[in-house]
Amino acid sequence: MRRYAGRACRAARRALPLRYYGALSGREEDALARHLLVCSACGGEWEALRKMLDAAGPATVFPRESEVDWDRFARATVERSRAAAVARRSPVPFRIPALWAGLAAAAVVVASLWTLRSPTRVGGDRTALAPPVDGLTAESARESARMIEDRLARRSAARYLSDSRSLLLSLVQSPARCRRSGGDVDVSLEAERSRQLLRRQNLYEGDLEGLRDQRLAALLRQLESVLMQVASLQDCATAGQIRDLREQIEQRQILLRIDLVTREIGGRTHVV
Amino acid sequence: MEPDDFALMDGVKNDREGAFEALVGRYQRRLYRLACGYLRNHEDALDAVQETLVRIYAARGGYRPDAHPFTWAARILANHCIDLLRQRRVRPAVSLEETQTRPAGRDALRLVSSEESPHERHERRELGRTIEEAIAALPETQRDIFMLRHFGEMRLEEIAACRGCALGTVKSSLHRATRALREYLSRREPALALELGEGERT
Repeated sequence: MRRYAGRACRAARRALPLRYYGALSGREEDALARHLLVCSACGGEWEALRKMLDAAGPATVFPRESEVDWDRFARATVERSRAAAVARRSPVPFRIPALWAGLAAAAVVVASLWTLRSPTRVGGDRTALAPPVDGLTAESARESARMIEDRLARRSAARYLSDSRSLLLSLVQSPARCRRSGGDVDVSLEAERSRQLLRRQNLYEGDLEGLRDQRLAALLRQLESVLMQVASLQDCATAGQIRDLREQIEQRQILLRIDLVTREIGGRTHVV
Repeated sequence: MEPDDFALMDGVKNDREGAFEALVGRYQRRLYRLACGYLRNHEDALDAVQETLVRIYAARGGYRPDAHPFTWAARILANHCIDLLRQRRVRPAVSLEETQTRPAGRDALRLVSSEESPHERHERRELGRTIEEAIAALPETQRDIFMLRHFGEMRLEEIAACRGCALGTVKSSLHRATRALREYLSRREPALALELGEGERT
């Protein structure tokens, strides 16, 4: 950098960034403009600074900002904020008793279904059903059972989604450099975790298929496809493979949707 | 006429219909740029912005109009980002691009254009990365102040209030930061420095 010529130039150069950001008073601006007219060195400094700061615009420094669908992001953010506020309003001290109450209700419903659905027994036949227990009709008991099944499936789904989210985050945010040749990114850990998650999903499959929430079901299908791709990667993946995965995750907004759905499930399953 | 930020925040605080949506729309991109400055990762930054806005909504009742709403939001974001950086795993994060070799050459001072060719886009991204590195290499105070002004579009007085420092400190930090950025770019990218007019210096 060139040594400054004098006090006026030093003061002018300190004021240049302030001029760029429109933070000078009218009097300061006039004085600086007069100085720049007569001092070509400071004029050159001003041009160079202006060009550099123009070049350092958001579109250059944050090129991926333009890839985001901001309207959609805003809608998801508002929705999540409201869901979080509602969840926060649910009184925590009642959650554990509510869970126990839910389990007790489940036991009652299962017991009554067993009674209602039992085939012919010694000393009786299917048509000679006992009267509804505590006012529970067969239909309402089945409905309660379906609700409980749905809730349990949702809990499984929430755990599965949450674990999958951590895995995808670690994959797209902190790729570890591969020490071996033939690849750029070490994904051995992530591939193994994906296989475990897919195995878990196979165990849940019956439960998850019963979900009546189409949005959740669609998310689970897309997630499964991504996990299968991760699971099939070699220990050392290429940067291109990771970029493709990252693009898929972003295009489908999987992380955002998992977050949203998990919170919603959390909110609903607490209200037993 | 659009309400100013204080009126908007008042609407958010009083659950006026559409107020929070408007605030999110107005702040999300500015917050994203600030978050990128802290976290240097697109997805992390998006998550941090969303988390910040969720926290703003949750804490809206406690907002007091002695601070500009964006100043308040930027402070919440900064605290969240600092927490994230502390929690970040030991495994070092490397950008995907760094795992590949970078081609040399630069014809960079182009602003975004819808007619931008793939080559121009690539050059712009390279320039963006260099500037990002230059910003990351700044001392913390200078970096924060530069980010808040340049990308957060905050007024100097708001920055001073946000950081709890004197206005003079903000001005001098901004001067030092811009000078350091130019020095970094001239060292790293002499061709770029020429385009920026550094070659005219003696």
